Amino acid sequence: MDQAYFDKLAQTVIDGEAEECVKLVKEGLEKGVNPVDAIEKGLARGIMKVGDDFGEGVVFLPELIMAADVMKQGTEILDERIRSAGTERKTLGKIVIGTVKGDIHDIGKSVVAAVLQANGFDVTDIGTDVAVEDFIKAVRTHEAQCLGMSTLLTLPLQIMGEVIERMKGEGLRDTVKVMVGGCPVTQEFAEEIGADAVGFDAADAVKKAKSLLGHG
Amino acid sequence: MKGFTGKLVGSVYPITGAECEHVHRAAVRVLEDGGMRCDDPRAADMFKKAGCKVEKDGTLVRIPEKVIMKAFETCPDTFTIYGRDESGYNDIEIGNGEVHFATVTGRYLRDIRTGERRQAKRADAVDGTIMADALDNVHGLYKAVMWLYDEPKICNSQMLVGEMMKYTEKSMTWVYNTGAEHEVPDLIKLWQIAAGGEKALKMKPHVLGHVIANPPRVIDVNYTSWLIGFCDAGIPVTVYSALMGGATGPATLAGMLVQALAETLALVVQTQAYKPGHPLCFCSFNPAMDMRTGLWQFGNPEYGTVGAGLAAMANYYKVPCVGFTINDSCDTDEQAAYESHLKNYTYALSGISLIWDIGGMAGFNYVDWAHMCIDNEVVSFIGQYLKGIMVDDERLSVDEILKVGPLPGSYLKEKHTRQWYRKEFLIPELSNRDFFETWERGHTELYDKAKQKALRILDSHENPVPSDKQKEIDDYLSFVKKRDVGEADKPSKRRQ
Repeated sequence: MDQAYFDKLAQTVIDGEAEECVKLVKEGLEKGVNPVDAIEKGLARGIMKVGDDFGEGVVFLPELIMAADVMKQGTEILDERIRSAGTERKTLGKIVIGTVKGDIHDIGKSVVAAVLQANGFDVTDIGTDVAVEDFIKAVRTHEAQCLGMSTLLTLPLQIMGEVIERMKGEGLRDTVKVMVGGCPVTQEFAEEIGADAVGFDAADAVKKAKSLLGHG
Repeated sequence: MKGFTGKLVGSVYPITGAECEHVHRAAVRVLEDGGMRCDDPRAADMFKKAGCKVEKDGTLVRIPEKVIMKAFETCPDTFTIYGRDESGYNDIEIGNGEVHFATVTGRYLRDIRTGERRQAKRADAVDGTIMADALDNVHGLYKAVMWLYDEPKICNSQMLVGEMMKYTEKSMTWVYNTGAEHEVPDLIKLWQIAAGGEKALKMKPHVLGHVIANPPRVIDVNYTSWLIGFCDAGIPVTVYSALMGGATGPATLAGMLVQALAETLALVVQTQAYKPGHPLCFCSFNPAMDMRTGLWQFGNPEYGTVGAGLAAMANYYKVPCVGFTINDSCDTDEQAAYESHLKNYTYALSGISLIWDIGGMAGFNYVDWAHMCIDNEVVSFIGQYLKGIMVDDERLSVDEILKVGPLPGSYLKEKHTRQWYRKEFLIPELSNRDFFETWERGHTELYDKAKQKALRILDSHENPVPSDKQKEIDDYLSFVKKRDVGEADKPSKRRQ
């Protein structure tokens, strides 16, 4: 496939055009495009551009979140093809992220997920009100290198500690980093429950994730 | 406490009467065609009782216009949140054309004694309550601080409310905090102890409870528990949506208003179905999302405009409206002032009965007792503006004008001046009125004057709550602590 194809693919992410993106991805695969190239030369370039523009204040969260969603839809199709071919693609790392059980606040966590994705991480957002066992399951299923947990409320904070304890019990804690965030989360609390870092806002989460996964 | 009144209260709305009708129709369409997701079977039963169509095994409720309008028939158009003093001085009338101001809350504060910015502790709840009790233009309290970082999470709300009940007789308001198992019954018990029993609280509720819909369009389990708790205890409620424009609500002001109204109307129906005649009011709490950070933002004009729009709708249905203002600044500075008080004035002009703003910054994250003193003064300016110009023969002063002029006559030594200036002019306590060069030669900054005032209050304000009442509250807190964490509570002592 030529550069024009990859540029068009990147542009669908920049423009937030999910339908067009999926259509182009499918057309590309039919014509034998390498799925890793489609992500790295196409979709990822698009999301990085949106991420850069977001950082510079040229675009804002609605554009970023839409771009992340388009990227996700395109990547899902391509990842399936990559997996069935037994190959892998390069990202800054795989992150699973969710809001803990007892809390249905979605926005902050979704913003962090989108900004992480725009900065080159492979992010799986498992939603809100997530139970301990579902975090563990998602970490295993997605082979996450980092787990992100969020809450806006005080009582659900304890779930974060429970997840970390369970990770230890399941032998996951040595290989999976843990980042926590949300209004009531403090550095002291993170240390108390044994988390590796606190993401105080989306930009901070990117910085900490890079550092935790050896890119900073 | 008597609020601010005047011919300007309720004089300015951001939508016209015809537009109110339009917004009403739009909100009704949302409730009739889309409805509300209902996460609590108890809530579904309430809606069913009101005559709504409940679908999808009770998880979706559609609310017809006739049910909404019937619910308003049983809503009182005014009600009282009582002070706990016998004189009635601290009573607040909601919906009678007075504008009241109350404190807001924060997780952090500036320690007034050391200047350190730090997390709030239990002793700070005592300080915040004493401050609010002492200030003349603070008509009621929100949480003195948001959380007590030195108390267990499981009984945090109980310790906070207990301390507040021990240091003021002014009324307070409560929004669900932790969701802990005993939070609802414990707090109601504390309010009952403070009032003098279950019956006394019902007779003279000194709390305004908050019941909130989860936007977009969800009736929540926790708030249904609170609705039941408040109604059973006889505590008036304010019902509202906590939507965030661009995230959990539309990104247009009219759209925010429609969704906020639809969710509020659903709660009006729910409340009146559970307890017909229970006093309620609307509440303006309508942030848009900051498109750079994803945080809710309170400082922008759209917050105040939509809030005043909701007040217009409350007026349309003839129910009262209250509201949060607050600002996004992280310290006492110019931004805190212009964001808070432009909105406070906008709210007051739209007739909002009770406004929570005093002392707080950074969107419920930060409080400062010196800042509280400054806000206490600024709202006195707002109160003065609301009066407008009162026109009667004596105030027109024609006889005086004819008597004194032309020069070299002066009004300074006239009885008329002595009679009127204190009533007609504001005499601020903290704001600078020094001549420029006098100020240049030496002055105390506004913040420092406010800080000195706060320290004086903390040092000398007399606690109005009798010691036997304090003891009763301490005993209950001790019971809670023992039950929840297995250890006796150490009652707070006032800082010296």
